[in-house]
Amino acid sequence: MFSFDPYSPAVDADPFPFYRTLRDEHPCFWSQEANMWVLSRYADIVTALNDWQTYSSARGNLMTELPNRAGATLGTTDPPRHDRLRGLVQHAFMKRNLASLDGAIREAAIDALQPLLGQRQFDFVEDFASKFTVKVLFRVLGLPPGDEVAVRDRAVLMVQSDPATRQKGPAHIAAFNWMSEYASGIIAERVKQPGEDLISQFSLAEIDGERLSEREVLLTTTTLIMAGIESLGGFMSMFALNLADHAEARRRVVADPALLPEAIEESLRFNTSAQRFRRCLTRDIELHGQQLKEGDFICLAYGSGNRDERQFANPDVYDIDRKPRGHLGFGGGTHACLGTAIARMAVKMAFEEFHRVFPEYSRVQEQLPWMPSSTFRSPLRLDLAVG
Amino acid sequence: MVMITYVEPNGGRQEIDVPEGWSLMQGAMSNGVDGMEAECGGSCACATCHCYIDEAALALIPPAADNEAAMLENVVAERRPTSRLACQVKATAALEGILVELPAAQS
Ligand code: HEM
Ligand code: FES
Repeated sequence: MFSFDPYSPAVDADPFPFYRTLRDEHPCFWSQEANMWVLSRYADIVTALNDWQTYSSARGNLMTELPNRAGATLGTTDPPRHDRLRGLVQHAFMKRNLASLDGAIREAAIDALQPLLGQRQFDFVEDFASKFTVKVLFRVLGLPPGDEVAVRDRAVLMVQSDPATRQKGPAHIAAFNWMSEYASGIIAERVKQPGEDLISQFSLAEIDGERLSEREVLLTTTTLIMAGIESLGGFMSMFALNLADHAEARRRVVADPALLPEAIEESLRFNTSAQRFRRCLTRDIELHGQQLKEGDFICLAYGSGNRDERQFANPDVYDIDRKPRGHLGFGGGTHACLGTAIARMAVKMAFEEFHRVFPEYSRVQEQLPWMPSSTFRSPLRLDLAVG
Repeated sequence: MVMITYVEPNGGRQEIDVPEGWSLMQGAMSNGVDGMEAECGGSCACATCHCYIDEAALALIPPAADNEAAMLENVVAERRPTSRLACQVKATAALEGILVELPAAQS
């Protein structure tokens, strides 16, 4: 009997064969292990993303949710509350308002590369991606320098789950609590002495004449740090992996960095780092002959929709000329990623600089250690041989 | 399915069957229509899914909510009375056959 267990190490390592069976044979599948329905076809996922009234995020959007988040953050509320929260922060993430960060982002890449000069081999994740992403996120969110390493380590742990218990384990919860306390300290400072930064604005903002609740400010800030650092770092590692494995594509983007943006889009499709998110049904529906009930959880398998041959021709081929518009790498609809513009800009600059120094690289490990996560997919370590 | 005719910036026309409930942006992005950028993925945060809806059809569509109206201020092409953000307009049976025109620039 076919089963699909998003907690199993086999799915962490290679979910794609499972996805194919899901799409072809069980387009609306009840996963016993995850205790939710799984939607795997592009069109079904897009339909869900265009209908938040039915597919609600208010009971959480991470496959394995963290305590208290449901109902209190951008990713875990529905309109109209969601739109108002989002309205408070999204100006900071609009493309035109990010232009001022150009120099700082490039500098972060150059700084992170400095210690690697002259090395023959290093871990892309630890030695470059994470150093770069924390620097960028600290700038965007206006966090005080000094705690980068501690923050990054916790952000990575927070999104993981325990494969045995299928829940967040003590280490994951401890990381989440640490991050909440860290965020809470920053918020307290900003409320006392507000600056021009995003967290100051958010802490003091009002919706309909009412200040946001402490819990909203705290969990939204915590989520921004987690979502920003982990998602950006995870995706960069997947992009590096794709370019390491596809030498011809890499040589083309090295020779002509103007091709980077399209290569980034193709990697968002091909190796979706944000594999699966969840929703909760607000009413009974029928789908592919199954009866789904109000209150049932639904997994939207973005990583599968992005490999759906009904939408993308030869989906298992990595092709930087594909222009995979409409891919699900950032989700879509009301809850589409807040960080799309900063993520695209930061990854592009990071690789422009990385390729200047290391135009040739290849993967060292045959088997990669994959992060144990029911939501995200990226290697914990990616050793690259350079030169 | 709702048949929508997209008019691309170079004047090309594409007739697309858009599933009911999908946004007009989604219908264009998933079918390779030119002239749509949709940087933000449909969260009403980028104003790069600007389109002009044919005047007769405008009355069939709920008016722009506050967040769409505010974001429309950011479009780069000429803003007209028929301007909408395509990610905020859903394909419904009533829109069968309408023309959706895409501007020359989105960003
Ligand atoms: C390449 C890097 C990134 C990827 C692949 C990614 C992916 C995603 C995806 C798939 C979602 C949708 C979640 C859902 O459907 O429930 C999402 C939402 C979100 N992302 Fe990202 N993300 C990235 C970078 C960032 C960055 C840099 C930030 C911010 C600093 C960020 C902040 C958020 C937030 C706040 C949401 C919730 C938005 C809402 O519900 O309105 N992300 N991201
Ligand atoms: S897609 Fe960004 S505003 Fe419509």
